[in-house]
Amino acid sequence: MRTTQMMLANNTLRHISSNYQRMGQIQDQLSTGKKITRASQDPVVAMNGMRYRTQVAEMEQFKRNLSETYNWMETTDATLDKVTQTLHRVRELTVQAANDSYTADQRENIRKEVSQLRDHLVGLANTKINNKFIFNGTDTINPPVNEAAIRAAQEQALAEGEVPSLENAVSTNDQNVNIELLKGVYVPVNINPTTVFTDKLFSDLIKIEQALSNPTTSSADISALIDVVAGHIDNVVNERAEQGARFNRIEMIENRVWEQEIIAKRIMSNNEDADFEKVIIDLTTQESVHRAALAAGARIIQPTLMDFLR
Amino acid sequence: MRSTFHGLETARRALYTSQTALQTTGHNIANANTPGFSRQRVNLTTTTPWPGGGMDRPAVPGQIGTGVQAGSIQRVREGFLDMQYRSETSKFGYWDTRHTALQKMEDIVNEPSENGLSNALDRFWTSLQDLSVHPEDSGARSVVRQRGVALAETFNYTSQSLMAIQRDLQKQIDVSVKEINSITSQLNAINLQIAKVEPHGYLPNDLYDQRDNLLDRLSQLVNIKVEPVRSGGIASEIAEGKYTVKLLDDHGRDLGITLVDGHRLTNNELAISYDEETGLVDTVKFGPVGFDPKAPGNHQTLSFEDFHAVGKLKADIEAHGYLEKNGVEKGIYPKMLRDLDQMVYTFVQEFNRVHGEGWNLNDVQNGEKGNPINFFSFDGINPTVDQVKGAAFHLRVSDDIMLGGLNNIAASLRGFSGDGANALALATVKDSFLDFGGTTTTVQSFYQGVIGQMAVDTNEAARMVRTTDTLRISVDQRRESIKGVSLDEEMTNLIQFQHAYNAAARSITIVDEMLDRIINGMGVAGR
Repeated sequence: MRTTQMMLANNTLRHISSNYQRMGQIQDQLSTGKKITRASQDPVVAMNGMRYRTQVAEMEQFKRNLSETYNWMETTDATLDKVTQTLHRVRELTVQAANDSYTADQRENIRKEVSQLRDHLVGLANTKINNKFIFNGTDTINPPVNEAAIRAAQEQALAEGEVPSLENAVSTNDQNVNIELLKGVYVPVNINPTTVFTDKLFSDLIKIEQALSNPTTSSADISALIDVVAGHIDNVVNERAEQGARFNRIEMIENRVWEQEIIAKRIMSNNEDADFEKVIIDLTTQESVHRAALAAGARIIQPTLMDFLR
Repeated sequence: MRSTFHGLETARRALYTSQTALQTTGHNIANANTPGFSRQRVNLTTTTPWPGGGMDRPAVPGQIGTGVQAGSIQRVREGFLDMQYRSETSKFGYWDTRHTALQKMEDIVNEPSENGLSNALDRFWTSLQDLSVHPEDSGARSVVRQRGVALAETFNYTSQSLMAIQRDLQKQIDVSVKEINSITSQLNAINLQIAKVEPHGYLPNDLYDQRDNLLDRLSQLVNIKVEPVRSGGIASEIAEGKYTVKLLDDHGRDLGITLVDGHRLTNNELAISYDEETGLVDTVKFGPVGFDPKAPGNHQTLSFEDFHAVGKLKADIEAHGYLEKNGVEKGIYPKMLRDLDQMVYTFVQEFNRVHGEGWNLNDVQNGEKGNPINFFSFDGINPTVDQVKGAAFHLRVSDDIMLGGLNNIAASLRGFSGDGANALALATVKDSFLDFGGTTTTVQSFYQGVIGQMAVDTNEAARMVRTTDTLRISVDQRRESIKGVSLDEEMTNLIQFQHAYNAAARSITIVDEMLDRIINGMGVAGR
């Protein structure tokens, strides 16, 4: 095969330009830290990359949802704890008042405290986080307990000796507020308020007040009310137990979310991140090849027969 | 009886011929870097020896040589390699153009990245999740609206950019057509010149070179076949004749289209006609120079489906899009645009359906569910299941949501403002299996499939560019090895012919001395 200068010059140029192409690819890998910069360089990596990115985005969202869930659950639990303590105090006071030796004055003092405690419970029922009422099912922008209606009922009870119905003063919304914590896993974050803050709870408390303010009430009548209060305490305790169990489940879900996020990020990274050691070695190899090509080109193009003819 | 001056004549011929050879060598050296130049060679032949045969031949030892002449000046070139080179060039032109078109598409969709469609979908989903957690929060609502707008704009932008490139491709098609027509008319002009020169027995080597160069360029645009047509008169045995150029399909079969006619010395023009409604290519027409493609008769019409001549033109048309005979739109860009439209249409149908089932805040206030409200709408068009065209380009967040206010976003399913169940249902639309024009899958899988297909096509095109380029270059190397000027070789020839010239001159001196002896040195005996 005959070989001419033109062929050598063209070959030299072609080799140098293909070396530059490869160097460009390595440069892209080094400066982006990714194996590929275009989908076509590796269609499989590109498609998986899209899927893994979505997975990572989902896990990050579930983490955000979790923090909101904890916000609800922890506030709910703390509030219910206070509700239990308050009801215990009411029970103690009722037990004290059931003692026949108490005078009307002392009973009046106890009534006042029970009244305060009832107000406190109304406040607890109307607990808000981030401007949401957490004990009103899905109706989070309205308070579950109408304070004014409860007050009016109490005044009416003390005046007339009969407790009016509180049905309209207390909300009956028992819908769950569901939050998605894992793909397709919806967890209710609120408790069912109709088991704790019932209209019966408030009307029973008013009944205690009314009994204490009525001089004809016997200690036996008051003793009967102790069990009523105990019943309400049981309701709260049961609801808290359930809430506690759900809390454990959420903690388990949280562990899974964290784990899945780590896995998703790792898979994403394995899929698309460049292996630096390999890229640097590629670069070094490519560099020496490129230098060789340049050196060869410089020497090959130079001498011709002309240099040796005088 | 031989001539006294026989030796002078022989040497004179040698001088002239060596001069011709030296001149041709000079011409080769001068054109060492001229693109398309093939080196030339002087075919040296001996002149008729003496004496010739015949009844009155002298009885002398014979025959005596009478010297040398330049028989012809010929290009050193291998026609078979030209054929190979042109067929590889057509393939290379096709794949290279296709690859470029696909790469532009790849640049636009830009996946996987932080600012592609996939990411816009993810962010939209995230905002719906946040809304499901804070359904009563107007901040969460406005984020949903913003991300909805961002998603719609991403679709608009992608669709619009694809259409812009499609328009550029049309310009490129027209440029290719102009180039083909210009090359064929130049080829015809060269044919005319060759037809004037060859019958006199000359070899117009430089015209041949120009013609071959034009054919190389033409073959990048369309796949061609060349048939030589012999010139009359006293045309030399090795004259190449006029060329007829025809179109070939990729199996080397004739398409029945003649671009340049070597018999009648005319050339035909090519015109592309576009469908009025879609702007896609429907037919390719061929006719005499300056023909009117719209007028009936006087030209051949090929449906693009039957236009099998691979090359840049075919790749451009396939990228831009064409109509099949049955009216179906085909092509790289039309397919991508249709897939995006299909994706938008199906997703929006389902999203609006789910959104319409929810209660918005106004419904919650009125205590009863009002008319369903669409979250997304199409600006100025009404796509249907059978006609999704334009859905991606015209996608908007509906006026009810944009102007009617954030309260129109339906997050609730059971009529309470703190209920985010419908926002959750909206978030799961991303993962529900929907019917994308016959493919049942989720919106993201569908999109990943579209991107994957594009990536695979681009990857294949890139591989074919490398393959065809390698083959083309290796054929070109072999061609160059035969026709290329080697300066070393020409230098060697220079020296060789110079010595031949000097030696011829020397032999004139010898004959001169001999004649001097005869003319001046004889008949002076005893001087």
